Amino acid sequence: MCRWTIAAFAGVAITIAAMPARAEWKSYINRELGFSFMAPGEVKASVGTFRGAIAGPRQTIVYRSVEDNIEYKVTVMSFIQAQAEGATILGEREYMFQDKKKVLVDTFARVEPGKDSVYGRKIVVDLPDNKGRSTGAFYFTKGRLISLEATVLPANGDFASPDPGRFVDSIAFVLSRTEPGAVELETPKFE
Amino acid sequence: MRLTALAALVVGALTTTAVPAAAAWRGYISHPLGFAFAAPGKLEVEKGNYRGAVAGPRDTLVYRFVDDNIEFKAVVIDVSDKANDAATLLGEAEYNFQEGKKVLMDTFGRVDRQYGRKLTIDLPNNAGRATAAFYLINGRIIWLQATVLPANGDYDTPEMGRFVDSITFFTVRAEDDAIELPVPPK
Repeated sequence: MCRWTIAAFAGVAITIAAMPARAEWKSYINRELGFSFMAPGEVKASVGTFRGAIAGPRQTIVYRSVEDNIEYKVTVMSFIQAQAEGATILGEREYMFQDKKKVLVDTFARVEPGKDSVYGRKIVVDLPDNKGRSTGAFYFTKGRLISLEATVLPANGDFASPDPGRFVDSIAFVLSRTEPGAVELETPKFE
Repeated sequence: MRLTALAALVVGALTTTAVPAAAAWRGYISHPLGFAFAAPGKLEVEKGNYRGAVAGPRDTLVYRFVDDNIEFKAVVIDVSDKANDAATLLGEAEYNFQEGKKVLMDTFGRVDRQYGRKLTIDLPNNAGRATAAFYLINGRIIWLQATVLPANGDYDTPEMGRFVDSITFFTVRAEDDAIELPVPPK
């Protein structure tokens, strides 16, 4: 009996050791842009571009990490001069995210309570050609369009993973809610 | 055979007479507010109230029609003093509309370069079914809502969709003989 127990423990230990190590989730904060979020893996900052019929051509700030074949991405676009158009700019971004894709979830998103509420949208889509499943959350606040996208790639295959939901739901705009010790994100400068 | 045909014609004519006459749809336009829509029935202009946690308390301007036990409303909420929160104010209005109700449809609305939302809900206590469309343009929430009341009972009527889809923000797209909406009462 004792030998069987030892063998069972050894089996479990070997199985755990064989599993890929999961990266720790960390909190990240950008005080200048006014938000924080949580993500696993090493978050890297870069700049990119976006174009919408209403938004026009825009430079973007991107914070991205990849962990266990899930890509986590926060994209920030500034519309300081067009804040009054925020509703339509946000709607366009949400529409583009799901356009021509299979929509699995499309629901209200609300961050912060009461008068501090920021309303947005959470959408889950299957990418064309079996390229994975993407969960997005979209907000427009203080002149900035902030998108969180987590994409489970086919190499991961666990399309029901709770990690994309954990990522997009971690967004905070009231920074007192952010975990103490959050990693400070720098804001990359546009060229 | 002739008698049967005659009887059928008479019954058909009687049935048609018994159906309540649907009011003609007319185009309406507000140049100052920058939108136009179409609706049946007699126009009434009212003032109302709206409250949201973010929006706070607001007066509303309501253009209201009732025809065949369907209520058609175009509600205008001025939020120009908080226009920088446009996206959240629109989201809050949409959220409040459906909160605690059975949602049958929740989809994108897209008209004349404006993105909004269209929702259909069943009202609590069998009080009817409502379809609404929400947009925020020029510092105003434009909210069109058609509610089929239980006395009508045809909850699949296309009239609700016809009303909310008639909105246009390019006034040149309004009907040529559209009636100018009256200025709001003081």
